[in-house]
Amino acid sequence: MTFNAAALLLLIAGLALIGWLAGRARSSLLAGRAGEKLHSRPQYHGWYVALWLFAPAALFLAVWSSVSPALVTNQVLAADAAQSLPAFGFERGAILSDARNVAEGRQAAVRLPAAAPLVKPYADASQKYALIGIAAMLALALAGGLYAFTRIKPDFRARTRVEKIVMLFLLLASLVAILTTFGIVLSLLFESIRFFRLVSPAELLFGTEWAPTSGAPQPDTFGGIPLFWGTILIGAIIAMIVAIPIGMMTAVYLTQYAAPTVRKWVKPCLEILAGVPTVVYGYFAALTVAPALREFAVMLGIPNASTESALAAGIVMGVMIIPFVSSMADDSINAVPQAMRDGSLALGATPNETIRQVLIPAALPGVMGGILLAVSRAIGETMIVVMAAGLSANMTANPFASVTTVTAQIVKLLTGDQEFDSAKTLAAFALGLVLFIVTLLLNIVALRIVKKYREAYE
Amino acid sequence: MTQDDLTIADPKMKAHGVNVFYGEKQAINDVSIDVGTDLVTAFIGPSGCGKSTFLRSLNRMNDTVASARVTGRIELDGEDIYAPSMDVVQLRARVGMVFQKPNPFPKSIYDNVGYGPRIHGLAPNKADLDVIVERALIRAGLWDEVKDRLAESGTALSGGQQQRLCIARAIAVDPEVILMDEPCSALDPIATAKIEELIHELRGKYAIVIVTHNMQQAARVSQRTAFFHLGTLVEYGKTTDIFTNPKQERTKDYITGRYG
Amino acid sequence: MNRQTAPTDWKGAAMQKRIAGRYAAERRFKLMGLGAVLLSGAFLAFLLFVMVGNGARGFLYTQVAVPIDFKAMPLTIDPARLGDDDADQLIANAGLSDIVAFAAEEALGSGGSDLISENAWKEVRSAIKADPELLNGRTMFELPASSDVDIAAKDGAKGALGAEVAALEKDGKLSTGIHWPFFRNADATDPAVAGIWGALKGSVLTIFIAFLIAFPTGVLAALYLEEYAAKNRWTDLIEVSINNLAAVPSIIFGLLALAVFINWFGLCQASPLVGGLTLALMTMPVIVIASRNAIKSVPPSIRDAALGVGASPVQVVFHHVLPLALPGILTGTIIGMARALGETAPLLLVGMRAFIGDVPGGICSPATVLPMQIFLWSDEVDRGFVEKTSAAIIVLLIVLLSMNAFAIYLRNKFEKRW
Ligand SMILES: Nc1ncnc2c1ncn2[C@@H]1O[C@H](COP(=O)(O)OP(=O)(O)OP(=O)(O)O)[C@@H](O)[C@H]1O
Ligand SMILES: [Mg+2]
Repeated sequence: MTFNAAALLLLIAGLALIGWLAGRARSSLLAGRAGEKLHSRPQYHGWYVALWLFAPAALFLAVWSSVSPALVTNQVLAADAAQSLPAFGFERGAILSDARNVAEGRQAAVRLPAAAPLVKPYADASQKYALIGIAAMLALALAGGLYAFTRIKPDFRARTRVEKIVMLFLLLASLVAILTTFGIVLSLLFESIRFFRLVSPAELLFGTEWAPTSGAPQPDTFGGIPLFWGTILIGAIIAMIVAIPIGMMTAVYLTQYAAPTVRKWVKPCLEILAGVPTVVYGYFAALTVAPALREFAVMLGIPNASTESALAAGIVMGVMIIPFVSSMADDSINAVPQAMRDGSLALGATPNETIRQVLIPAALPGVMGGILLAVSRAIGETMIVVMAAGLSANMTANPFASVTTVTAQIVKLLTGDQEFDSAKTLAAFALGLVLFIVTLLLNIVALRIVKKYREAYE
Repeated sequence: MTQDDLTIADPKMKAHGVNVFYGEKQAINDVSIDVGTDLVTAFIGPSGCGKSTFLRSLNRMNDTVASARVTGRIELDGEDIYAPSMDVVQLRARVGMVFQKPNPFPKSIYDNVGYGPRIHGLAPNKADLDVIVERALIRAGLWDEVKDRLAESGTALSGGQQQRLCIARAIAVDPEVILMDEPCSALDPIATAKIEELIHELRGKYAIVIVTHNMQQAARVSQRTAFFHLGTLVEYGKTTDIFTNPKQERTKDYITGRYG
Repeated sequence: MNRQTAPTDWKGAAMQKRIAGRYAAERRFKLMGLGAVLLSGAFLAFLLFVMVGNGARGFLYTQVAVPIDFKAMPLTIDPARLGDDDADQLIANAGLSDIVAFAAEEALGSGGSDLISENAWKEVRSAIKADPELLNGRTMFELPASSDVDIAAKDGAKGALGAEVAALEKDGKLSTGIHWPFFRNADATDPAVAGIWGALKGSVLTIFIAFLIAFPTGVLAALYLEEYAAKNRWTDLIEVSINNLAAVPSIIFGLLALAVFINWFGLCQASPLVGGLTLALMTMPVIVIASRNAIKSVPPSIRDAALGVGASPVQVVFHHVLPLALPGILTGTIIGMARALGETAPLLLVGMRAFIGDVPGGICSPATVLPMQIFLWSDEVDRGFVEKTSAAIIVLLIVLLSMNAFAIYLRNKFEKRW
């Protein structure tokens, strides 16, 4: 017998359905017998019972399924057969998981001989904890259901109770966002602190040499400046040079000049451009744009031209950002009151004078906010740089050369052969922390500006 | 309707048989009217009768509304303003407009007033522009209040000051006609009084057309009044005549407050 | 006239020239705007053109006609066991690959077994499992060509291989057909049998988990914030969190998932479960923001009317506000889900980049997703994978674009209700 959470969830859902029916039936029965009017409609009594039956049991189920594997493993490790296991490392884990797979029926036979004696302890332990878990869960469900069932009276305010519980759910749901934020902050901080015990923060922030190649004769160096520079070169410079003019002009054309039918067709096209996944842009950059740019650079005689150039990644990233910039600019320009435009036109200004000298200056705060958001998005973009920008940490202003970025390095450090807890993997979290802080600041500032701007024209 | 003492010898603007449509809907029906140079003309009438629509067709601001269509003839100094040879940009410089709600640009006071002369190239250099800005602000009666803070944003002024700034902005391009669409409706009585005073002072320098819902205001500031109803011009005459001795029943009902 | 200055000479030559210049500037500016729009359009067209141009061929594959006579070369296996779970293993052990290789040598001359894919026998195996009768006779199989032959047949090639391919073509032994393994199989090292089904199923499972978590949570949170939450520091904090989460780089969610779900909770690595949880956290803020906007646009008069007839606040929301806001909520959800479906970066960090040769069985078995498959194939050196990559991109784009198109349609349909 194994602990199958999905099946158990279905089981208690079924029980809850029974509880719902029972609660409903009982309340109508009571009301009929007593001749009293029910405070709440029968289905609310049903819901009350069902919720009491379901919620505690489901909660228990969630907790139990996350702790029971650890309990099982503990018991197995306490068994005699486990004493001969290798002390640490990969092998130990492999043997244990091999034994577990067999014990839980996911595998017909052990692959590692050392795992064979552990299969039985595993099967025993998981059966024991599964039984305990199921029994406790069922007991909770029945207790909850019975408690609620006995409380049903004609004047019982079931609806108010149910609504209180619903409100609780709503509140909990809205707390998930905070929880996620805290989760991000805590996990990044926690791992980063461990990293900073090995490498000083000053080295990461101000060092100019990035070479975390473990196994090399010289020790690893974690100077982040080349990564930061690469990130800025690609995300904040090249991509913006592409995206800002094109995005702004697109927005201006669409809001001020285009006929409604044109707008009706172009806007969805831009949304399509925005909906193309980044891995496709990355492949496009690596397959088409980068080789073409390299050929171009070689033709011009530019040194260090690479097929993994900052320019290729930056241009394609810029294209990716165009719809974003244009829709932000579109919103900002549309938020400028019509009176402003009329005022300028009534003085005899041409549309382009009106746009350049009145509308855009008036929309500037909103546009700036949008651009900050775009920058934050560009520097956090991963796939395009992983696929097209390369991994060599160069400090160069030559856009045809290869540079690397924070995100590309995070991916590099955390994929492939990794030993956990090494400075290399921890460094990824430290880089993540830097990225998170920078984008967070950009976002907060940008959202402030945009909000202020919206209020200004309310 | 036309009377001998009403005919204006040298009308600045002449409208003849003007119709304005928004899509299928007709907002102005066969309106003919002359605007004299030395006069203030008031347009009155119940809400939605087409005063603004007609006013906006005098400087072709209706061009900015996609569905709007104007037929008939409107002349400025004898030139058809809807003729293909007429240049809208110049037309609007010559026929300025002040809106219901003050709409200063989010720029400095100086730049607000200087905006028109700059785009039309009326000031060859900074010194000339300074003169133009100063003169416009003086004429708009705002100079004393803002001369020490020309670099501040125009939006930082009070509502009445903003409206006078908008008038200064319109004056600065040296227009021949100024159209005002309920210029005081967003202002308090004191600011309104200031604007009315200003209109008195500007009379004679510009042909002024003002739309207003305030009968007293029309009586105070204008010499000619036109009463619009449901898109037609019901009555046009000397302001004193319209208010003391209207010829049409509808006019009388309106100014005595029986509807509108 | 009572003017202080001479009236402006609008008709003068200098002024006319200036006006002409201003109109020229106007035309230039408008052209620039049009140029920007066209440029964006051209990028999109070029991108689609390149992908379709490369990818369309990825759906096709060159096949070699090889007759196999199982009477002459019997496959010793009990036909009754072909339905068993381990039938694949049994057939492999019975030496089918040798039989197929031998048949190819016989039919195509010496070296013939190199012309077909080394995995071609697996296609034969599938055919046998589907129809055991084949074992009793001689059948003409259209076997997938080797990757080199496929490319040579599509592109034309010189040298010995080119000559061989030309000869095969002349004999009518080559044909081009829809590459069914591409839709049926999981990843493989041989482009002849590599497919997207495994990744597609992984994507479906992952997105399903993400939806299951993000949609209810997002909608409930939006309802709470819009309808009930008092304005205080807590709600401000929630709002700021949500707005920022919506703009946090996706890779950060990968780091979070790696640290929390995998290292702390020890959930199954590289599985749709972990991937789905990660994407759920990522999409939830998007859903909350879209839902709040949709809820906001339900006019207050409807709430007042419902409250006026004695509905409780909870009833008002669930009976009136939510149904009216649903189209907007769904639009936002579809767009968020489409984004999650195209997401790669966070999944790289939770281990979904591993080579997965099997179609995933459940939410806890190792899996990959479609964008990840594209990423993995884009790294392959084998030329056969270039067109496979583009073909997979076409599939992904079709799915995503139809999701987005549906969302846009929904939005336009329900846009102006009030
Ligand atoms: N942009 C437009 N599109 C369609 N119809 C319009 C438009 N602007 C005005 N109208 C219609 O034209 C008619 C006249 O409107 P107009 O604004 O000229 O009235 P008004 O006399 O200025 O009223 P008010 O005193 O309220 O300002 C109205 O029926 C109005 O609904
Ligand atoms: Mg009006």
